[in-house]
Amino acid sequence: MMTGPVLRAGAWPAVVGVTGVAVVVGGCAAAFPAAATMLLPICFALLAAAAAFTLDEPASLIVDVTPTTPARRTTIRAIALLAPLAAGALVMLAAAMRGLVLPWAAAGLALAGNVLLGFAAACVARTRTGEPGAAAGTAVVLALMTPALVPQVARWVRTFPAPRAGGPSPDTVWWTVLAVCVVAIAISVGGRRLPRWMSRVP
Amino acid sequence: MTTTLAPARPEAAAARATFAALAAREMRRFVLNPLFLAAAGLTAYLLWSGQRSTVTEIDSVDAIAATLFGGLGMMAAFWLTRSMRASEPVVGVTPTTLPARTAALCAVAIVPFGCGCLALLWFVHLYPVSEPVYGAFSPPARIAVLVGQIVVPALGGPLLGVALGRWVRFPGAALVLFLLLSGWINLVTWLTLVHPDSAPVAVLRLFAPFALFTLHSDAGVTAWRGSPWFFLGWQLALCAIAVLVALLRGAEGRTRSRIIRALGIALAAAAIMLVLAGTGGFTHAVTT
Repeated sequence: MMTGPVLRAGAWPAVVGVTGVAVVVGGCAAAFPAAATMLLPICFALLAAAAAFTLDEPASLIVDVTPTTPARRTTIRAIALLAPLAAGALVMLAAAMRGLVLPWAAAGLALAGNVLLGFAAACVARTRTGEPGAAAGTAVVLALMTPALVPQVARWVRTFPAPRAGGPSPDTVWWTVLAVCVVAIAISVGGRRLPRWMSRVP
Repeated sequence: MTTTLAPARPEAAAARATFAALAAREMRRFVLNPLFLAAAGLTAYLLWSGQRSTVTEIDSVDAIAATLFGGLGMMAAFWLTRSMRASEPVVGVTPTTLPARTAALCAVAIVPFGCGCLALLWFVHLYPVSEPVYGAFSPPARIAVLVGQIVVPALGGPLLGVALGRWVRFPGAALVLFLLLSGWINLVTWLTLVHPDSAPVAVLRLFAPFALFTLHSDAGVTAWRGSPWFFLGWQLALCAIAVLVALLRGAEGRTRSRIIRALGIALAAAAIMLVLAGTGGFTHAVTT
């Protein structure tokens, strides 16, 4: 019974808008397969940012004191993750149909990892602020873009399964991220507070 | 005439003092922003660590400073601008106008600009312009390439962030724009790899606040089409457009019409500079 109103109150313009931008970038990747390994990681980072906006609640001062538990509200809002996940799957399908050769299972894992990372960051930040999307999204995007920005990090961590790229497999990174995200989400919706040293979410 | 001008002087002096105080306050907030601190720290570390590795082309190194000071600086300035939205009902009734407060925000770009200048000096010390990593460009053009890739993005990124913060309500606008610009620069760079001698592709490559000018391959260092000097002009025109667009918010009366007129001139100058940047320089890619 709560699902409809909770979903209706979501920051849909932000989620759908950022997902739309991601589809445009992903569409360019599908249109120019040779540039896909540069554009798909940006598309996935945008989908992670979209996922970070799913928990935004402008009326949090009122919503947070209603009897609906954070776990229930978060579970309902998690349905909104279907938008970035479906958009990412659509982009991968379009790229595959255009003849792009990628390890698709690993790419799918990277997509799921990106989206869940954005959502987990939002869950953690939501314990301190009603609208965690911008801060969580920025933090996640910067974390995801670090290998592209800092060459030293790229030697150790790869976040996208680009063929013929050296370095460690991104699968290990994404399985670890998925496990950490599940734990972080479970702790944050369980009502735990942030560590003491983190007095507030920037 | 004396009686007409005399009362205006104290007002102008007071306005200048208010602007200086506001600018100093905003600058302090910008310098303490975690994103700017991260950008400064990472740039220093990456330039320092770059000393220990072999560099085959400059673009692999100088893009770091542009991304960090320009990209992260844009996000920091956007946050800074948006942070006052909640207190707008209170701040809005003070005698200081919105354009004056916007001008103070724009003044914070001096900080990353200064950092960009320092990064440029450090970069030139590490990789002197006489080295072959710069490709076929003449020594003055090499300096223009570096200024356009290190200093001007550090100035323009925060100015773009202020304009975005003044006009766009969506709180994630800066990070979306950051990723969009990254995607666009990657896409047009790839297009240039496929069509290195095409003039329209060169214009497309330079239709961005940051552009690469060289590529390293087994054959050597390839210098792409395009004039680094006119590209510098295009970037400065973009900076002027960002400032004017930011100032336009809340401007009224004569100030507004002046800003719109200046914006028209800046847009025309930007278009001319872009065409000259794309069609000037080498007429084809040169590998040395």
